[in-house]
Amino acid sequence: MAKRVTTKKGSKSIRSQGFAALVLGAPALVLITVFMLLPFVMSIGYSFTDKMLVSGKNNTVNFVGLSNYIKLFTSEAFRQACINTVFYTVMVVPSILILAVLLAVLINRKAKGIALFRMIYFSPQVITMTVVAVVWAFIYSPGENGLLNSFLGLFGIEPQLWLKSSSQAMPSIAFMSVWQALGMQAVIVLGGLQYISPDLYEAGKVDGCNSIQEFFYITLPLLRNTITYVIVTNTISSLRLFTQVYVLTNGGPMGATNSIVFQMYKTGFNNNQVGYASAMAVVFCGTVLIISILQNKYLGGED
Amino acid sequence: MGDKTVKKFLFYVLYTALAVLFIFPLVYMVVSSFKNDDQIVRDMSSIAAFIPYGELSVQNYRDVFQKLNFLKYFTNSMTISLCSVAIGTLVNAMMGYVLGMLQFKGKNLLFAVILAFMIVPNESIIINRFLVVNNLKMVNTLPGLMVPWLAMPMYIYLFYNHFRRMPYELVDAAVVDGESYVGIFWKIMLPLSKPICATVAIMIYIHAWGDLLWPTMVTRDDSLRTLPQALRSLFQSDQTLWGQVFAFGTLATIPVFLLFLTFQKQFVESLASTGIKG
Repeated sequence: MAKRVTTKKGSKSIRSQGFAALVLGAPALVLITVFMLLPFVMSIGYSFTDKMLVSGKNNTVNFVGLSNYIKLFTSEAFRQACINTVFYTVMVVPSILILAVLLAVLINRKAKGIALFRMIYFSPQVITMTVVAVVWAFIYSPGENGLLNSFLGLFGIEPQLWLKSSSQAMPSIAFMSVWQALGMQAVIVLGGLQYISPDLYEAGKVDGCNSIQEFFYITLPLLRNTITYVIVTNTISSLRLFTQVYVLTNGGPMGATNSIVFQMYKTGFNNNQVGYASAMAVVFCGTVLIISILQNKYLGGED
Repeated sequence: MGDKTVKKFLFYVLYTALAVLFIFPLVYMVVSSFKNDDQIVRDMSSIAAFIPYGELSVQNYRDVFQKLNFLKYFTNSMTISLCSVAIGTLVNAMMGYVLGMLQFKGKNLLFAVILAFMIVPNESIIINRFLVVNNLKMVNTLPGLMVPWLAMPMYIYLFYNHFRRMPYELVDAAVVDGESYVGIFWKIMLPLSKPICATVAIMIYIHAWGDLLWPTMVTRDDSLRTLPQALRSLFQSDQTLWGQVFAFGTLATIPVFLLFLTFQKQFVESLASTGIKG
């Protein structure tokens, strides 16, 4: 008897929870279905068609099988965009990781005014990327009077072309991106550092560790999860490179800074080839997925 | 003792050097925004670039307001950002509560879908998202600029994580008092969630304020353009007027910077929690 009452009460509770879930969850559910799930399904679907952005009377959507994918893997432009994006990522992620750990160790001290310094190091992250980019464009002005060139001139370095040179443009963008992200990544690593119990360092001292051994045998292993996090999030955000390119170089000079997302945008939007751009999107999404799974698997701890 | 003081001093030298490295572009932008273009170019090869001297004036700011119609872009960006913050925070909080505290049929499926979309980069669906928005006749409208970005799996996940850690006794007690599960959200849970709301609100604000790709895709009329778009075209015009670019950049930075100074803690948290592990 008592049992029946509970079940009855339980099912009533489930029903009223279901009602609340429907009422409160509906807006987000509708938005995600319409603006994420639907475009996602369309991306996959259209990647097998010749869908154009502006569909008129004459261009119907035709099924073209794998030809978008074949075109993609044989396309010189897409290959270059991939190489450029990987090049950028390979420059940015290790630099951020190493410098952020060093910076975090440096600011993980009790010192007067340290909070102010941390705030200053963090501040570039707050500035909108477009603003950061135009300021750096000025810093990178070519010619001997450019800001950076004059500074390097003090050390006898010849004026460089920076963003105007096909070999220096991508490293210049990478440097700017590292500059912007570094302070915040250091704060994230700092969060990890502060979880490490001081007792471990005490124990290390007893065993006769010097500070370098301390760093490699205590700090680094215990930072494993934080480091994985920094690598994964920065890899993904690097692969998504767009704004810097769109503001500073438009993919130039000579395609040297053309990124995957920028190429996708141009293909779908300027060239109207939605089908082809969708195939790029699917490949891009798959790549991001595989990379994040692999990084989590091989770098992550047991949890 | 002496050694310790020297060590301390060296640390401060290092801290200051790093601070200069991180802040010089910002100082440079603000200082230059008060100089005319001739002086900016003249000063750029020396330390003078960072020193406010010479004929300082607010002429660049006047030009930005009068010739470039800064206020229009500012209003657009502000409208989009504030509306997105208000609606977006609420929509994601509601879903977070649903997933974190309620039991209902289909919950696991819903949760799986939302988790899965956390890994899908927005860029990979953006062109087809544009087609959807186009079919809804929302291209070149303010709602078209913000509605697609209101509900984001990552924000929902942050709220979910928050709500699932809340003491469930609060819900039980309220149910005994005859409160509905919708009422519990509004009257009990939401007021207890201010910090996480602030974190997500800041994330939404930063995205809406700084995004360039989506506004470029959905706006056609100049009257709907946002600050980053306007700054980009100002910068890419044939003869870049640097003074105006810097004044524009300074003005576009002020609101976010004020927010940062006021809500430092939440700012750091929100930017630091932009990942899966939360």
